[in-house]
Amino acid sequence: MSWFPLFVRFFLRPLRQEPVRTALTAFAIALGVGVVLAIDLAGTSAAGSFRASLEALAGSADFEVTGIGGVPPEVLARLATVPLPIKVTPRIEDYARVESTGETVPLIGVDWVASAPAGGGEGTSFAGKGVWVGPRLASKKGARLRLLVNDLSVEYVVRGILSETPGAGEAGNVIVMDLAEADQALGRQGRLDRILIDVPESGELEHWESQLRSELPEGLSLERFGARTEENRRMLAAFRWNLRILSYIALVVGAFLIYNTISVSVVRRRAEIGIVRALGATRRGILVAFLGEAALLGAIGAVPGLVLGRLMAEGAVQLVAGTVGSLYVSSTPAPIELTPASALLSLCAGIGVALASSLGPAREASAVPPVEAMARGRVDYHSRINARRNLTLAVLLALAGTLAAWLPPVAGKPLFGYLAALVLIASASLAIPALVSAVSRGASALARRLLGVEAFMASRGLAASLHRTSVLVGALATAIAMVVSVGVMVGSFRETVLLWMDDQLRADLYVRPAGAGSADRHPVMSPEVPDLIEKVPGVAAVDRFRALRISYHGLPATLGAGETQVALRFGRTRFLSGTREEALSRLPGGDSVIVSEPFANKHKVGKGDFVELALGGTTRRFEILGVYYDYANERGTIMMDRSTLLKYLPDPSPSSVAVYLEPERDIETVRAELERAVAGRRVLITSNRALRREAIRIFDRTFAITYALEAVAVAVAVMGIGGALLALVVDRRREFGLLRFLGASAGQVRQLILFEAGLLGLLANLAGFVLGAALSLVLIYVINKQSFGWTIQFHWPVAVLLAALSLIDAATIAAGLYPARVAARLRPVEVIHEE
Amino acid sequence: MKLLALLPVLAVAALAAEYKVALPGYRFEFPRDHFDHPDFKTEWWYYTGNLATKEGRRFGFELTFFRQAVDRPEKRTSIWQVDDLFLAHFAVSDIQERRFFYWERLNRRGPGIAGADEAEKRIWNGNWEVRWRGDIQQLQAIVEDFSVRLSMTPRKPPVIHGINGVSQKAAGPGRASHYVSFSRLEATGVILVSGREYRVEGSAWMDHEFFTNQLGEDQSGWDWFSLQLEDNTELMLFRLRRKDGTVDPYSAGTYIDSAGSARYLRRSDLRLTPLETWESAKTGAKYPIRWQIEVAPLQLRLLVSTPLRSQEVVNRNSWTPSYWEGAIDAEGRMGERPVRGRGYLEMAGYDRPVQFGGK
Repeated sequence: MSWFPLFVRFFLRPLRQEPVRTALTAFAIALGVGVVLAIDLAGTSAAGSFRASLEALAGSADFEVTGIGGVPPEVLARLATVPLPIKVTPRIEDYARVESTGETVPLIGVDWVASAPAGGGEGTSFAGKGVWVGPRLASKKGARLRLLVNDLSVEYVVRGILSETPGAGEAGNVIVMDLAEADQALGRQGRLDRILIDVPESGELEHWESQLRSELPEGLSLERFGARTEENRRMLAAFRWNLRILSYIALVVGAFLIYNTISVSVVRRRAEIGIVRALGATRRGILVAFLGEAALLGAIGAVPGLVLGRLMAEGAVQLVAGTVGSLYVSSTPAPIELTPASALLSLCAGIGVALASSLGPAREASAVPPVEAMARGRVDYHSRINARRNLTLAVLLALAGTLAAWLPPVAGKPLFGYLAALVLIASASLAIPALVSAVSRGASALARRLLGVEAFMASRGLAASLHRTSVLVGALATAIAMVVSVGVMVGSFRETVLLWMDDQLRADLYVRPAGAGSADRHPVMSPEVPDLIEKVPGVAAVDRFRALRISYHGLPATLGAGETQVALRFGRTRFLSGTREEALSRLPGGDSVIVSEPFANKHKVGKGDFVELALGGTTRRFEILGVYYDYANERGTIMMDRSTLLKYLPDPSPSSVAVYLEPERDIETVRAELERAVAGRRVLITSNRALRREAIRIFDRTFAITYALEAVAVAVAVMGIGGALLALVVDRRREFGLLRFLGASAGQVRQLILFEAGLLGLLANLAGFVLGAALSLVLIYVINKQSFGWTIQFHWPVAVLLAALSLIDAATIAAGLYPARVAARLRPVEVIHEE
Repeated sequence: MKLLALLPVLAVAALAAEYKVALPGYRFEFPRDHFDHPDFKTEWWYYTGNLATKEGRRFGFELTFFRQAVDRPEKRTSIWQVDDLFLAHFAVSDIQERRFFYWERLNRRGPGIAGADEAEKRIWNGNWEVRWRGDIQQLQAIVEDFSVRLSMTPRKPPVIHGINGVSQKAAGPGRASHYVSFSRLEATGVILVSGREYRVEGSAWMDHEFFTNQLGEDQSGWDWFSLQLEDNTELMLFRLRRKDGTVDPYSAGTYIDSAGSARYLRRSDLRLTPLETWESAKTGAKYPIRWQIEVAPLQLRLLVSTPLRSQEVVNRNSWTPSYWEGAIDAEGRMGERPVRGRGYLEMAGYDRPVQFGGK
């Protein structure tokens, strides 16, 4: 007898007969698959867009020359005149804000004389303020476009529409100027951001590289083209990896549900299994048939999951892009592309999880001896659970998990951290049966006294179907543990950041250019601005801060320079190693820096080490005087005194200015004075309080995606509870019928089910809370630290947790409503007659 | 005399600045006048030459540098500001293999990408350049798989064309250029063609002209000849064509005798007769490819032909005209004496009338 007819009669039919339950399980899988796909797509779109916006517009090249603070123009002349058959292409790259829409778009300065991009050429002129724009920004030549660049708003005439720019996907949103225009708009003093170099195809790239390097002055870096994209990819790798792991949690929760469904199916059909076995079905046939059921469920869920994932990706991409933008790198999301590869991967994930989670029950089914199965009654489905053995295993696993948490990262990824988390989850699910029976034994008397006989019976009923209850509790507990752990982690992080801001943000007012800034964009303002501000009455001191995007050992980082003497007087920056007074007072002296904690962790440096930086035509070693706590960005920051930076890069334009007022001065009055003083410059003057508010808003936006993922996992679990209760009702028809027959009212039966649901929720909350607390430690001290390098102080976000847990319990009870109605509607006489 | 209608810019260069025009009485000063004249709107340096290996494998080359003023602002706002456009053409004729290659580049001065600087004794556009070492001019032009490196020694002093320091091109004051040539430069060096290197020697010619709005609007094109004869004399002739099909009376020439003294040739002294045309498959232009030249006062009759017909520089964009510029051979008689020579010929305005700028 082949397994196929068996499969059809045995499984397809029941699936059809219980459409609600099948649909719920499948939908849970769909959600899981959908989330995984959505996060995958959104991550690619949000991260891929950086390449699209700047490097794609550059077309292709073999090498690129960059330098901290830009490449001096003379370098281009030198490269253009070397006796080598190379092509050099200078570029200025920045961002501008379109005043009419508020949209921030790439602003690219190209040598329009030597290489006007295709499609924009005719009628070229170099007089007046002209730009070439992508078709999304203007539709015809001669249109006016007002742009905010750094701290100035200027009107430009559209000289042409770029129709055939390479990387056309993003070209719709780009502004191109001639070098002269871009130089003037951005105040670059002629400096370029990049020189692209093409070399002939003949000859080794290494050979060309060494030849080119010998032509370049010290202090500039020559890299293969695409190094920036590569750096960003590397930088984003940890973030995307963690996000992806998080997205798999919904699928893990789904796995519990599949496991439950298949177990129920096995238990329920023991008799049938016995019969078909007696009729000659092999063990293998049974195994394959049950696995087939799981695969079918997986597939039924995974296919709509693809559609769901594509839909959810639209929302997810906004959230992910927000996070990427505020933590890492400017990004305008690229169009979402559902590739066959990622679709296939999600399909396989869905079906694979279904298969893996059904392996246990299916093997149990295949092990059923025909005689035993036929001899036993259909209702007798108490699974045997060896609670003691499981508990021992749980303790061992918990120990193993704890050990794994101490291990170092693998290739920058907290692999052991995740392993620890997984092992802890497994440990918890093994401990759950013991928890359930203990609680129901202990609680049933109490339940009876407090809540009546229905509660008592519900409590006993859960213990009676221990196997099934445990799986349900396990699924929900995993979801809850995730909510708790991530909640604790984010809450702790938030609290840490709040405390840090208390120390870090000591100035009364902050001034920055209105142009678009982000983790990797540092628009500057005219050096006059702080000079003017300094003279305003009531201003005690100003701290001119300059930030520059740099790469350090193949990773993006930020180089900052401030007036450390002002910071020493007013600030309260806390140091992880080194002391504030010593470090800050020694900074202005010479070639020394302090570095932020993420930088120190990423690059494995500390106090007393040196960082080597190529600055203004020379390469210097800077001594690290200390490591300070910093949560401003994940890229990592090297901080030096302003005088040190100016010594190497004589560009006095600051990216922001902190203004300290004399004591007792009214902030609003001084602020009005400041605004008058800097009239005509587009700068934003933000009060301390507003800045903190904004910082926390960005923080919350950063974790929005995390919350969304949690919500989906919980939804999956709750849905599973609903489905499982329904199955329970169907299986216990006889029991309920009997109850009714013995005089229980329909209301009492309904209550019984709801109590069971509530109890399930409570048990899951309990287990989930304990597991979650353990996981949060792993998240904060292992996974976060290893992936991002931040020290987070542990903190319980009590209110958030309480709210979340009550909400989940309420949702569980709500999930019992429909099964309760089904149970209440059972007609006692009919049910008893079935027997 | 040579010219390219320069680029889109001409149409736009409605200039606030006033430029000097070429007027009679100009006193040339060397080496100062070998370099740039920013007071004039247009300026060019033309190097052409016929080269051969010891085994007799023959090559022609053209390397030209143009400067076209765009703007003369009072205040400099950026080092990248486009005050002048620098255009350059480089062409190699591989006579034996019947192949012709050409390249173009356009740049701004910027931080020193292009220029023509007396202090540096250099005229350059990227890595195409001519550097002066004393009297010797060292030429270098590099592109992928092709390059020319030559050391050129003048065998005669510079020749100033025209009368009283100006070479008149049309009626009216200033419709003229200041025009100076090295009519015989002895050249030795290396030429790289399709990745293969050849040691070559031969003879080159250099033209340098600067002016503002020299041509008239009724003119449609020109034919320009430079010939180096084996008796150590040279001949420069240009024929300006008008839109009505006639030859402009301002066509002229110069004869340089073996001692290096120049003799001005006016329109009435010359007869240039096209004998045969070659039609370009790329542009459809019909270029006169064989000429009869008669210079009555010298009793000179020459038959001019080319060893390679397809030496047309086809421009990539729609604004610049295409032109034919290539190596030529000449054979004939001066009086009773047979003469032979080699040179370069430029013919412009055959695909369509050349647009003259400065409107």
